[in-house]
Formats: sequence, structure tokens, C-alpha cells
Amino acid sequence: MSTPAQQFPYVRRDPSLGPASLAPMLPLTLIARQSVTTSGLVDSGAAVNVLPYTLGLQLGFDWDQQTHSVELSGNLAAAQSRVVVLSAAVGSFSPVRLAFAWAETDDVSVILGQVNFFLEFDICFFGSRGLFELRLKL
Amino acid sequence: MSLAEVLPEVESLSRLDKIRLIQVLAQQLERDPGDLIEPGRSYPLPSPDRAFTAAAALLQALEEDKGQP
Repeated sequence: MSTPAQQFPYVRRDPSLGPASLAPMLPLTLIARQSVTTSGLVDSGAAVNVLPYTLGLQLGFDWDQQTHSVELSGNLAAAQSRVVVLSAAVGSFSPVRLAFAWAETDDVSVILGQVNFFLEFDICFFGSRGLFELRLKL
Repeated sequence: MSLAEVLPEVESLSRLDKIRLIQVLAQQLERDPGDLIEPGRSYPLPSPDRAFTAAAALLQALEEDKGQP
């Protein structure tokens, strides 16, 4: 039996852009040494999850202790990134383990990408209705 | 038809019809996708869309994480 889906609204990310800035921003709590409640862009075009630098520090990660470096693409290509694994609580779903490319920049939102957010959840986008729907993987 | 041609006719509308016109125009602008993207404006595109090596590294980290107590 599959878990019931939960719906979330699209959010205007930039009031000056109005509907042009509508995006599927998912409220979630990231849990490592510390917990931080934030929101992440559910981005099917992103190969990986991305964590901004300051948020990683707030979660209790030490940059120098993360030894696995990864290279990102797009406008994140210039930023160094390191791999971190943490738990994430979304809605009333059970927490899941997510791996992030922790980028050495704050010029990015939390990005929830194919590896591994989309491996943990099945997601439907209803852009014309301004909402998206999550279901835990079977 | 230009704005200069329309304006005199708009001026002749009642106050209530002017408000209705504003509402109609606002709704049309909201719906018109051509106006959603403004020429010359910068729109951020943060997706690491081909970071497959990074994706493989994250999957490896998750495998290692499973083995930890």
C-alpha cells in the first residue's frame, strides 16, 4: 500500500517578478548536529541536491572535515562543493536520508534534485493549479 | 490601436467601469505568459543539470551512510 500524497503550494520567490517567480518550494526541516527549518526548490533539472554554505554551518557541519569534493555545473560551477549526508523531515512523512553537495556559496537556494530527493519521493507538478504533490517512494 | 487613441475613451468611462477595466487588465496580464518574462531582465538558473559525477559521489556517500550505526 502506498503512502498518501501530500500537497504543497507554489511560492512566489520574488515579489517584484510576481507570477514569473512562482516555484515549487518545499518546506522541510534539515537535521544534522543541529536542525534548521527552511525550504528547498524541488528541481527535476538538477542532478544533485545542493546545500548553501551558511545553512551547512548552521546544521553543524565543518567544511574542513568534509573530505569528499564534487564539481557542480551551471552557475554553481565556480563554487567548491563537498558531500554531506543528513536527515530531512518533510510534512508528516517519515524522515529520509538525503545527500547534498554542500556548496561554498550562499548565492543559491536549497535545491532538491534527482540524487537523491527524487529517488526518495514521487512528485507530481500541477503548475497551472499552483501546487505540487509528494508521495514517499514505494 | 495605440494607448493615445484609447485613453480618451477610457477617460469617458464611469468610475466603476474604470475599476472593472483595471481588474480585467490585471487578470489578463496574470494569464499572459508572454509578459511573465521581461526582456533584459536576469533570471537565475541554479540547476546543476549535468553534474553526474557529483551525483555518483552522493550515491556513494549514501551507500557508506547505510553502513553506519
